[in-house]
Amino acid sequence: MNTVIEVDGLTKRFGSFTAIDGVSLRVEENRICGLLGRNGAGKTTMMQLLTGQDFRSAGSIRVFGEDPVENAPVLARTCFVKENQKYPDDYKPVHVFRSAPWFFPNWDAGFAERLIADFRLPLTRRIKKLSRGQLSAIGVIVGLASRAPLTFFDEPYLGLDAVARQTFYDRLLEDYAEHPRTVVLSTHLIDEVSNLLEHVIVIDEGRIVIDASADELRDSASTVAGPRTAVEAFVAGRQILHREDLGGLASVTVGRLDAADRQAARAAGLELTGVSLQQLVIRTTTIDSPDTEGRRSA
Amino acid sequence: MTAIALSGAASRTRSSSRVMATFRLHFVNYETVIVLPWLIMAFIFVVNWLIWWMITRSLTSATDLADAREGFGWSGAMFFIFVYMMVVAVQAVNLTFPLAQGYGVTRRDFYLGTSLAFVALSVAFAIVLTLLAFVEEATDGWGVGGSMFTLNYFGGDIWYERLWMFLLVFLFFFFIGAATAAIYVRWHTRGMYAFFAALGLLLVGSAAVATLTRTWPAVGDWFVAVGVDGLVLWSLVPTAVSAAVGYLILRRATPRE
Repeated sequence: MNTVIEVDGLTKRFGSFTAIDGVSLRVEENRICGLLGRNGAGKTTMMQLLTGQDFRSAGSIRVFGEDPVENAPVLARTCFVKENQKYPDDYKPVHVFRSAPWFFPNWDAGFAERLIADFRLPLTRRIKKLSRGQLSAIGVIVGLASRAPLTFFDEPYLGLDAVARQTFYDRLLEDYAEHPRTVVLSTHLIDEVSNLLEHVIVIDEGRIVIDASADELRDSASTVAGPRTAVEAFVAGRQILHREDLGGLASVTVGRLDAADRQAARAAGLELTGVSLQQLVIRTTTIDSPDTEGRRSA
Repeated sequence: MTAIALSGAASRTRSSSRVMATFRLHFVNYETVIVLPWLIMAFIFVVNWLIWWMITRSLTSATDLADAREGFGWSGAMFFIFVYMMVVAVQAVNLTFPLAQGYGVTRRDFYLGTSLAFVALSVAFAIVLTLLAFVEEATDGWGVGGSMFTLNYFGGDIWYERLWMFLLVFLFFFFIGAATAAIYVRWHTRGMYAFFAALGLLLVGSAAVATLTRTWPAVGDWFVAVGVDGLVLWSLVPTAVSAAVGYLILRRATPRE
């Protein structure tokens, strides 16, 4: 398996604020990777560092085996149209779609046209006058039609309605199947994309809290529900991620269960359910660990 | 697991193609950069022509007419285009730069392509202004003794002198605009405060030095001796400094909101 992104001990500080705190990770070629986390967790900063738009304070970044900063051959293979991408004041979408092919060798004009129709994007209206969703559509279309070997989508669908979001997922999957590439997608709508993602990275307060394949994650936690005494007996000694009590009933989320565990749970009359990716992210990013307390003043 | 490398010369995108793509990016909406300024110029010309015509029609004595014609020569009607081009430069660095970054262009390639666009615009517009100056001469001031492109400030009737003057003034405004915008992109509002504060201090400081050393007359003499032509030539110094400093500033800049 080939590695497209290799990051080691990456740190980014803005004055006394540490936005990215000693992060190490790998992203393999031709995967759809979710970069998830709360607002201000460091997702955008991470993407800016990976595309050479921002400069690291410490650590190393390798994209296609090289440092991306001011590296034309590397950056020519990446596309990163930000959620809050700025465009020149007088630009209309038509100017973006006319110029983008000059920068992306794999640009597919036919695909771009189809996407423009899908998203019903008015081409000759000034970008300043577009709605939030239409503005997002420009970035989505550039990201998809560019077919860059490494494409970043940062909150790509702010303001897009449910139909347009589904269109994005469908087109992404279709095109990805025909033209495999590496996609890094950051989003808050975790449940919507959970079937899309093959790899999940969860970042919280500048640190990686989850870095696993989607399959691994699906098995990594389960919720055990039933009479409280039976639940308590079963979860004793296990890693407890979450707990809910309701009268004599309890529902506890625990870590990985193997086949024997599952057998035992069923034998004890307990109900086992999987935990959604969204639930997992919420559980892992709301825990207050004492070592993150002093980070902002570090 | 192996890291994939950018192997082979063929797969490496040449930097020069990104420079040219950036160059083209500045003209993708040519209406703003080329059409609009010349439409404004045409409009100003028509208004000026009507005024020249009215004045020359209403004057009867030959001396009054000569006076009026002399006065037309102090027009600043076409100067807007230099300021317009400074705004074009500011927008290029402030807004086109973030877009180019999204397109995966390095700062170096962006700056080279952008500078090339500035130079191309300067040369093209200087040629047009020079041609207009000769037409103005040949038609005795568009038939009414007016002047908009042959101005008293700039001496020089030789074509290359005129071309050179216009060219240098364009370059000055482009690169001053680009360098100032680069300060904003890199250090935002605080950078602007610091820059204009420093500029103000420099100007007031220079005035204070001239006052304290009682060298104002010498300063005045220098300006007279150098003349407008010489001054335009001297503009090459701030132009070149802006071009270099603009790159150094932008090289470590990150587009942000």
